[in-house]
Amino acid sequence: MDQATSASPVMTFSVLTSSAPVLAPRVGRLAIPGRKTLATPHHVPLTSRGTVPHVAHDVMRDHTEINSLYAGLEDFIAKKDAPVYKTPVANHESPLKKFICVADEMPLILGPRRFPPIPCPPANTSTSIALLTSVGFTQLSAAEYVKSIQKLKPDIAIGMVDLANKQPGSKRRAKMVDRTHAWTQEALEQLYGNSAAEENKSKSAFFAPVLPLDNAQQSLYLDDLESEFRWDISGLALYQSASLGFVPESLADLPRLLFSEPETPHNILRDVSLGADLLTTPLLGASSDGGIAMEFTFPAPAALQESKSEPRPLGIDLWLGDHATDTSPLGEGCECYTCKHYHRAYIHHLLVAKEMTAWALLQVHNFHVMDNFFAGVRESIQRGSFEQDVETFARIYASSMPESKGTGPRLRGYQLPANGPNQPRRMPKIWGQLDDAIQKYAESQSEVATPDTDASGLEEHGFAEKL
Amino acid sequence: MLCHRLLARRPPRTSYPSLSISIANMSTAAPTRNSMPSALTFDRHAKCSTTKARASTLHLPHGSVPLPIFMPVATQASLKGLTYDQLRETGCMLCLNNTYHLGLKPGQAVLDAVGGAHKLQGWDRNLLTDSGGFQMVSLLQLATVTEEGVRFLSPHDGSPMLLTPEHSISLQNSIGSDIIMQLDDVIATTSPDHARIKEAMDRSVRWLDRCIAEHKYPERQNLFCIIQGGLDLELRKQCCEEMVARDTPGIAIGGLSGGEAKEEFCKVVDTCTDILPEHKPRYVMGVGYPEDIVVAVALGADMFDCVWPTRTARFGDAIVSSGTLKLSHKSFADDFGPVEEGCTCVCCRPTDQGGLGLTRAYMHHITAKETVGAHLLTIHNVHYMLTMMGKIRQAIIDDQYPAFLRKFFSDIYQGDKSKYPEWAVGALRGVGVDLLADS
Repeated sequence: MDQATSASPVMTFSVLTSSAPVLAPRVGRLAIPGRKTLATPHHVPLTSRGTVPHVAHDVMRDHTEINSLYAGLEDFIAKKDAPVYKTPVANHESPLKKFICVADEMPLILGPRRFPPIPCPPANTSTSIALLTSVGFTQLSAAEYVKSIQKLKPDIAIGMVDLANKQPGSKRRAKMVDRTHAWTQEALEQLYGNSAAEENKSKSAFFAPVLPLDNAQQSLYLDDLESEFRWDISGLALYQSASLGFVPESLADLPRLLFSEPETPHNILRDVSLGADLLTTPLLGASSDGGIAMEFTFPAPAALQESKSEPRPLGIDLWLGDHATDTSPLGEGCECYTCKHYHRAYIHHLLVAKEMTAWALLQVHNFHVMDNFFAGVRESIQRGSFEQDVETFARIYASSMPESKGTGPRLRGYQLPANGPNQPRRMPKIWGQLDDAIQKYAESQSEVATPDTDASGLEEHGFAEKL
Repeated sequence: MLCHRLLARRPPRTSYPSLSISIANMSTAAPTRNSMPSALTFDRHAKCSTTKARASTLHLPHGSVPLPIFMPVATQASLKGLTYDQLRETGCMLCLNNTYHLGLKPGQAVLDAVGGAHKLQGWDRNLLTDSGGFQMVSLLQLATVTEEGVRFLSPHDGSPMLLTPEHSISLQNSIGSDIIMQLDDVIATTSPDHARIKEAMDRSVRWLDRCIAEHKYPERQNLFCIIQGGLDLELRKQCCEEMVARDTPGIAIGGLSGGEAKEEFCKVVDTCTDILPEHKPRYVMGVGYPEDIVVAVALGADMFDCVWPTRTARFGDAIVSSGTLKLSHKSFADDFGPVEEGCTCVCCRPTDQGGLGLTRAYMHHITAKETVGAHLLTIHNVHYMLTMMGKIRQAIIDDQYPAFLRKFFSDIYQGDKSKYPEWAVGALRGVGVDLLADS
């Protein structure tokens, strides 16, 4: 088997096993000096305003194995002169890590936008992208973003990319490539170029974006990645699974971070089999919010492989009343904190009672399941049985996650797409104390013989005619 | 809806054997009352030589609780986002659940099947449950109290329901809490109807007898009576005498924290503690602002509960020794100090001491935006309250409580004695501490 290592000054990525440079599953090790080493393939825990949703810092430290974080700059720059830039730090420390109060050894990935991003109605420009802060839409210029990387010192910075909200036409596609190309070039120049003095060169590893377009459409850009930019980039950021097929062989030894929204573990396995090293898995948080405890292991347990029964569900919906008195753990034999200390009946009760603890405990469990899943993936690839294991997994488990019946936590503006006209309420009204009064008021009014509508309304109802 | 039926599952009794006795005995304590079994022991360690403050230890079936104590309220079997290990970390030995809420969700049948609230929520320390009467009256429209119990309309389908003392005790027996409360006839202390207040007091005594009769596990659950009587000190005295005669393991002073003037509140507590036996724990229900607690301790109370510290945390307010900090205010946006300097909670402790080293700036960043902000501030506030209680207790043991009181008020009002609340000055003067005197 091939052994390849890419080493930029700031990060080392060694591929331990791979049958082919691209389009094949591979196990790797991503090492940043002074940080926890990441075994790949691995999922990247996503943060919202610097926290893993519902997981308090002490819970993360004590009860999860979370060993990397992704943060979007848009979560921190609602105000001009944002506080995150003023964080007091020692010379080597990352102000962003210090601001969100995570340990220095936690590898931190910074991108311009949170993931998954909320589509922004304002258009990107040739020098900036539109993003959504907690106070509204704004533009982030490529130059500002580079400055943020320099100031905030994340371990890995994702290059700014021009993505279209909907399927782009040919003109838009050309713009996407040109802009991303120019932004990448400028960023690399600012971060590592000759214009910067040696001691001012950025210590952040730069992951260059690959656009979710065909190979041919971005060939000029990819050529530059292979040649001019090659020694300044430490990895690639991809935005669709198909892009894994466009990675040039000469860039094959770079780690690939795939920003996608796999809906099932089957999708994750497909992306891994195409050579993804780091993956975003928003389905983890979505499951917790929906009251779903994920329940799958990879490779599928031998005991299940024998049975020819119904496909196994990928998770259990704890909203269901079946769990009301069930004191068994969420997952049979699960070793996570939640399963060792609590049970289904409790989580069910918490969900029904709309208590926040439900989501916290589900997150702990679901992270554990996902961590184990990826550990299983790595072992399977190293054993050389990955393809077979994927097939078995697909046969044994259901093809989709169970659909949640319940309501999740209250969503905030920055977590929601912008409201369009005529959209229904996202959450039912909860404050109803004055409803009685309103009703009484309405009733008292209706005693007076006045119709509820104007003249044209009456006409429409055939009540009377306008003269 | 099913839950409601469970709550009111038992058919109302047609006759109350204990009722007639207690009415007959209203004016004089029963001479032949059996002493009640108790599942607690109450060790008194020290009494303040100036005030009526006491330091003691309450040994309950799930561990020992240092008194005076503040009890955080885990209304629906969970303390707002926290795991029970996080709650344990704050030092909490005793927390509350609400009978009314647990009766609705998950309901008595589930509690019985799971084996009680401790097992349900994975909490191996002590629980206290209220009787549900307060929620009936405060949360529900059209709740009416009759001799039988509280009649109310189900909030789900509007059908008429009845909660009797028997239902309440039966539910609390199913919950299995270490301290259970009698169902009392709760009315607002501010009610102008004196006859109604007297009726509520008398009825609470009669209901106590029904609760005692219904209580199935006195050897492992401690039933506390609840002193009623509004702001009428004579009624309160009568009620104390009646209830003390029933010899419950502990005694609560109820019907306060309903918007009455603080002076009145202090008078009631003061009057009751003068009569109540020294060897029993005294619980002032629903009281929880730090100022109220330190004064009530001086008046001889031992136990307190309030949702305020945890509720205010969710709004982004941190309790600190100088009062409360509204962390959502923009002045904290780039304040990189801990929530409170020197605080030993896991949030404020620096990372090199095993804490999280959280800053005000970051709390400002997530407060009221991420659930984690609520979790972390809840930890801080509960820890603050428990630490404060620990300091109170130590001050009493060292016989330094008057000095503690002076420092406490000086910290909150930055030494400006003109700002001290009159009610606190007055109440403490009554127990021999003059806050305004030069120390």
